[in-house]
Amino acid sequence: MMDRDTWLEIFHTVLSNPLRTGLTGLSIALGIFILVVMQGLGAGLETGVKQTFGDDAANLMEVETGNAQLAFRGRKPNRRIELHNADEQAMRSQMDSVPAWSRLVYRWGSTVRYGNEQGSYGLRGVDPDQREIGQVNVTAGRFVSDRDIAQRRKVAVIGGQVLADLFPRGTKPEQAVGSLVQVRGIQFAVVGTFNQSGSRWENRSVYVPFSTAQQLFSNSDVVSRVAIGTGEASIDDTRETTTSLTGWLKDRLVVHPDDAEGVWVDNRNEQAEMYRQIFGGIRLFVWFVGMMTLLAGAMGVANIMTIVVRERNKEIGVRKALGATSGSIVAQIVQEAVFLMLISGCIGLLAGTWLLQGIAPFVEHEFFSNPRVDFRSALLALGVLIFVGVISAIGPALRAVSIRPVEALRDE
Amino acid sequence: MIELNSIRKAYQTGSQSLIVLKGIDCTIEEGELVAIMGSSGSGKSTLLNVLGLLDDFDEGSYVLNGQNMDGLSEKAAARYRSDFLGFVFQSFNLISYKTALENVALPLYYQSVPRKERQARAMAFLTKVGLADWAEHLPNQMSGGQKQRVAIARALIANPSVILADEPTGALDSVTSDEVMALLKEINSEGITIVVVTHENEIANQCDRIIRLKDGRIEGANA
Repeated sequence: MMDRDTWLEIFHTVLSNPLRTGLTGLSIALGIFILVVMQGLGAGLETGVKQTFGDDAANLMEVETGNAQLAFRGRKPNRRIELHNADEQAMRSQMDSVPAWSRLVYRWGSTVRYGNEQGSYGLRGVDPDQREIGQVNVTAGRFVSDRDIAQRRKVAVIGGQVLADLFPRGTKPEQAVGSLVQVRGIQFAVVGTFNQSGSRWENRSVYVPFSTAQQLFSNSDVVSRVAIGTGEASIDDTRETTTSLTGWLKDRLVVHPDDAEGVWVDNRNEQAEMYRQIFGGIRLFVWFVGMMTLLAGAMGVANIMTIVVRERNKEIGVRKALGATSGSIVAQIVQEAVFLMLISGCIGLLAGTWLLQGIAPFVEHEFFSNPRVDFRSALLALGVLIFVGVISAIGPALRAVSIRPVEALRDE
Repeated sequence: MIELNSIRKAYQTGSQSLIVLKGIDCTIEEGELVAIMGSSGSGKSTLLNVLGLLDDFDEGSYVLNGQNMDGLSEKAAARYRSDFLGFVFQSFNLISYKTALENVALPLYYQSVPRKERQARAMAFLTKVGLADWAEHLPNQMSGGQKQRVAIARALIANPSVILADEPTGALDSVTSDEVMALLKEINSEGITIVVVTHENEIANQCDRIIRLKDGRIEGANA
């Protein structure tokens, strides 16, 4: 049925009033364009945010302390709350077995020196489980080990940026392993290197054993933070753990139950869940707006097809007199509408893709990266176009079918 | 070829019913060239529409080519029109954006004849009506007489048993009218039944028989 005559019919309809067709097509193209661009920007935002935060595993919770704001059990407000080794050990023993557990002690702005080069980096004293919890990507050598902790060894695992800054240009990670560096003036042996893709500040850190860091750099038995891996636990389980652990900690560290700032448990599962919901919402919103725009375009097509049918009242009557069936008339009008939708839709799709590709190199940002149209969305958009095209043609087509040949011929 | 028995037809205009055909009985034999005459409002166009299966009727029976045409579905009517009937209209009703050749070929499109064969047959019929050189012209580049000849070629292409012509010379001057009538007579001489609706005596007199309509009834038939 789709032979040259069918195409001629379609081209004639589409070209008989170029301005009208152009404007209608523009509304469709714009609809798809907006859908594609918004979808691409949404994907870019998601990629960017995931790159910035995503390297940290989502399945962990962190215990941190701060300044208690409320007076409690005879203690003054605005007092510093600290988590000591004894508290940490008590916390650990009262919890059920956890998949991963790491104490942390931080020293920001620690000077690290290699030969004549030096720089300021984040120093992190950690337990071996930090590798799993923080999803540390070790590129050479090894991570902090249990023996390092037990013997308080002066060993360091350095980030990719530290390696690039301090070591001669072109030094490979495995070449750096075994060399000696000065950390806050104390000599450490480099036992490993790591590299976190897409995260600049992670790569500007140095991991050392927790016990070593506490002894050398802390002068106290304070634990800055405890990171607890939650493994495969469900979001509800982690919520429960968070609540019970927070209650236990507040009781032990004498913090008012309503005090939000004395000690808290930061459940990253919750954040990951929040991101999931936010991006799910953004995606839904994008499709909703896109669909509404398309709907407006589809109304335009329905309108143009109604006018076309009215203008061709007589022609349709003549065709029926010459043997055209209702089916062939409907097919013709639906084909015309779908053709118009598809052509304008593809223009919008190409323009949107082109724009996204064009701007991609210039919009790289911490929270925004690689905006793009994925193939599935494009296919889905085209499917929607065909569907909407058919829907928009049904009304006018039924009108054309209801034209009786004699009425059309009388219309002079 | 055509048998009409007590055909009645009324149009509903608002609350009133206007009876247009008040019982038409007539027979048209195969190979006849018949004129239907009558003043405006006599029902002659309605009768032609009924004959052409373009409009239905309320009562009576219509047998075309031995088949009963009573209560046809729209689809069946389209098929019979396509198989048995060819139409020639006063205002030609050519499709303006199609060339003469494409216009002539159109009925075959609806019979799913392959494009090449359609083109070849359309060319043959255009040659027959003397317009082979005008095949690629659009209707608005042609004179009235030429357009009507294209329309006649289009009516002929599906090899119909009957050609129904509604005022075929109504929009033409007397010289081209005669040319068109000569063409119709030539086609008739090849055995195709032709029914011409006209109000011009000169045209009607060139036919084998005249059916005169007045107020929805047949006045009398001349041989």
